[in-house]
Amino acid sequence: MDLQRHRREPLVTDVAADGAITLAGVRKSYGRKVAVESLTLAVPRGELFAFLGPNGAGKTTTIKLIVGLLQPDQGQVRVCGHPIGSNGLAAKARLAYVPDQPFLYDKLTGREFLFFVAEMYGLPRERRDRILDTLIRRLDIAEFLDRLTESYSHGMKQKVVLAAALLHEPAVLVIDEPMVGLDPRSIRTVKSLFVEHCRGGGTVFMSTHTLDIAEAVADRIGIINHGRLIAFGTLGELRRQAEREHSLEEIFLQLTEEADG
Amino acid sequence: MADAAEPVRTHLALLLRVKVRSLRNRVYQAVDEAPLRLFATVALVAVIWFGLFKLFDSVFLQLSRTPLEATVAIPLVFNVFFAAMLVLLALSNAIISYGALFGREESAYLLSAPLTPLDVVTLKYLESLIMASWSLVLLGVPWMLAMARLTDDSLFYVLFLAFFLGFLPIPAAAGLLLGWAAARWFPRTALRGVWLTVGALAAVCLFLGARAFQFSDEGASNWLRSFYARMSFVEFAFLPNQWVAAGIANAQQHRYFESGLYLGVTVANALFFSWLAVTVVARCFDRALDHATAGRSAGRRTASPPSQGISGRVFFYLPLPLRLIAAKDLRTFVRDPLQWSQLVILFSLLGLYLANVPALKVQFGSLGWSTLIPFLNLAAIGFLLATFTCRFVFPLVSLEGRQLWLVGVLPLARGDLLYAKFAFAMTVTLTVALASMGLAIFILELSASWAMIHLAVTVAICIGLCGFALGIGARLPMFGEPNAARIANGFGGTTNLLASVGLVAAVLTAIGAATWRTRYLPDAVPDPISLWLCLTAVLVSAAAGLAALRAGARHFNQIEV
Repeated sequence: MDLQRHRREPLVTDVAADGAITLAGVRKSYGRKVAVESLTLAVPRGELFAFLGPNGAGKTTTIKLIVGLLQPDQGQVRVCGHPIGSNGLAAKARLAYVPDQPFLYDKLTGREFLFFVAEMYGLPRERRDRILDTLIRRLDIAEFLDRLTESYSHGMKQKVVLAAALLHEPAVLVIDEPMVGLDPRSIRTVKSLFVEHCRGGGTVFMSTHTLDIAEAVADRIGIINHGRLIAFGTLGELRRQAEREHSLEEIFLQLTEEADG
Repeated sequence: MADAAEPVRTHLALLLRVKVRSLRNRVYQAVDEAPLRLFATVALVAVIWFGLFKLFDSVFLQLSRTPLEATVAIPLVFNVFFAAMLVLLALSNAIISYGALFGREESAYLLSAPLTPLDVVTLKYLESLIMASWSLVLLGVPWMLAMARLTDDSLFYVLFLAFFLGFLPIPAAAGLLLGWAAARWFPRTALRGVWLTVGALAAVCLFLGARAFQFSDEGASNWLRSFYARMSFVEFAFLPNQWVAAGIANAQQHRYFESGLYLGVTVANALFFSWLAVTVVARCFDRALDHATAGRSAGRRTASPPSQGISGRVFFYLPLPLRLIAAKDLRTFVRDPLQWSQLVILFSLLGLYLANVPALKVQFGSLGWSTLIPFLNLAAIGFLLATFTCRFVFPLVSLEGRQLWLVGVLPLARGDLLYAKFAFAMTVTLTVALASMGLAIFILELSASWAMIHLAVTVAICIGLCGFALGIGARLPMFGEPNAARIANGFGGTTNLLASVGLVAAVLTAIGAATWRTRYLPDAVPDPISLWLCLTAVLVSAAAGLAALRAGARHFNQIEV
């Protein structure tokens, strides 16, 4: 694959109209600094997509564009076919977002926070209790759920935020660095929760620096550098692009270094 | 909270319930974990409240005894007070709204949920309204009671309270629009933003100062009348302060129908402007959020290399590690718009006061006040410095909370960090204090002996206040809180406020006694007893500050990171 070409002409993926997440020709700049350039990307339903890139490559900006916290200068972003934006309620109702710094109300207990989220998404009580019971058991959060969240460690917060994100069974889960602060057992649980979510028809868009996890669970992988998508496909396709049978780590390093020129 | 988990009709009700639940948990936590601290906080607030009541009571009683002030001053005082509150509350709401809407993780979380911007903006508007106004209500209730005692009419109290509460949403709405406009159009670089704000506020202060405080050689009574005439611009019929002042004046004269009409106008406008501001900001929220986010993400340098060098050289007298920490504090402060915007407001008030000093000399010089005016000037500067250190110096220790682990592993004693902060605080405070005092001494043509005394007292007050702020700040920190304004309003902040006011009051009592003793002496040269009084005040203030700093440093050394 001619990587030089991609520095001038961004990689374009097929944008299916019924994709869970579609970005079409998206550009976003902060003043003179271009954060994302001509990003066209489609993630279909049922796919676990890993979004990789060096620090400052544009991953978080892309995620914020997907969840409607930023508006593109050019192009369109859709979630489950609905345009996103601060008013895109149809899209947001199908979406859950877990930022890299998990947000919780300090003076609420974990359970109060989860009830709040359930009520915000209009979950009936029986359904809320049923899903919550499963998530509490699987994420092992019962022990501290009735304490104020201000006393939680980073890992505890991350687990509660993940539970809150999965509580309304979103069609699309967008998550920035999901495994930070989690212990190995919790990482395994979260990985299987993501895989099950996708098997059930949901979509996971995961930004991470943990390449092992991306290699293990992702259906497809996108690599962004300097705001441009420089590689996209399954692990096998990426290996072909890199023209080597390497691990994802080596492929990532090779592609980003070559793209840096 | 969600025991009956029906699908919600309005998300605003849900959001408000969460806030109430958070507040309830906070109170329960305070009762369970620190009942003594809660009691002390309530007691401190009660002391402040009662002190204010006595102050207002005596002021209104005094004013009511003199015909000029009773007939002219009291209504104008209301008008000027509410006009000033209109401006200050609008600025305060603008700062809080900006931080709440564009600077917090909560907004980002709520906006990624299926909530409309209208829900989020309304919630933040209400939060800002309460946060910015509670202190005014705290100040206002004793004022109302003092007035009600003067008028001896309970209905007046009810109407006064209604006017107060009806007025507050108007500056809150203006503040919301200002905060949104700042996010939408303010320059993205911090330094340009600082200069723009400083320039704009300086221009406003100069205009108002020039208009209100032109001084001439006319007598005090004429000056007062002409001052009232100059301030009459606040009585413009379309200004909310005029509706409130006129309504209260009517209520005071038992004209309840007219007062009710003004109340109706005030409340109707408050509701209309609140609706307008919330709707406009919610509809145009996207671009403002984009612009504010872009400002943080642009990755531009906020200071050029020379200015970074300057911030290091300011603290040339410190050893290198402490110099680096002091320079870091200075840069952090300058790059935090929420901090310096409030500092600019405080300095503007100081500037306005200093612009008024020549008028004091001209107007009161012939009244036998010539020795008292410099003392009142010292008192004003002392209390302004106390405000400054309570708001800006006290939070310095708590703001290290999130990186306390870093401080813990630095190759220097942790107490030294406190001394570095003391050096930083003293450099800034002393520069402002000595410049202000020096200017005032020059304008008031103080004798050399009193000039020296006032300068020494200013230095001692600075040492005392900075020592208290950092010592108490290290003893009663609020490490989890990133917001400096909230840290200053907490238990430790309130304790520091009372300690600082107490210190300034004690120093002023001694200097006041010395001033009083010398008022009839030739050229007001201080006698030996006066000199001893001044020297004691200076030594006690400086020693108290250094002792508090040392105690704080000792405690800070023992904190487990």
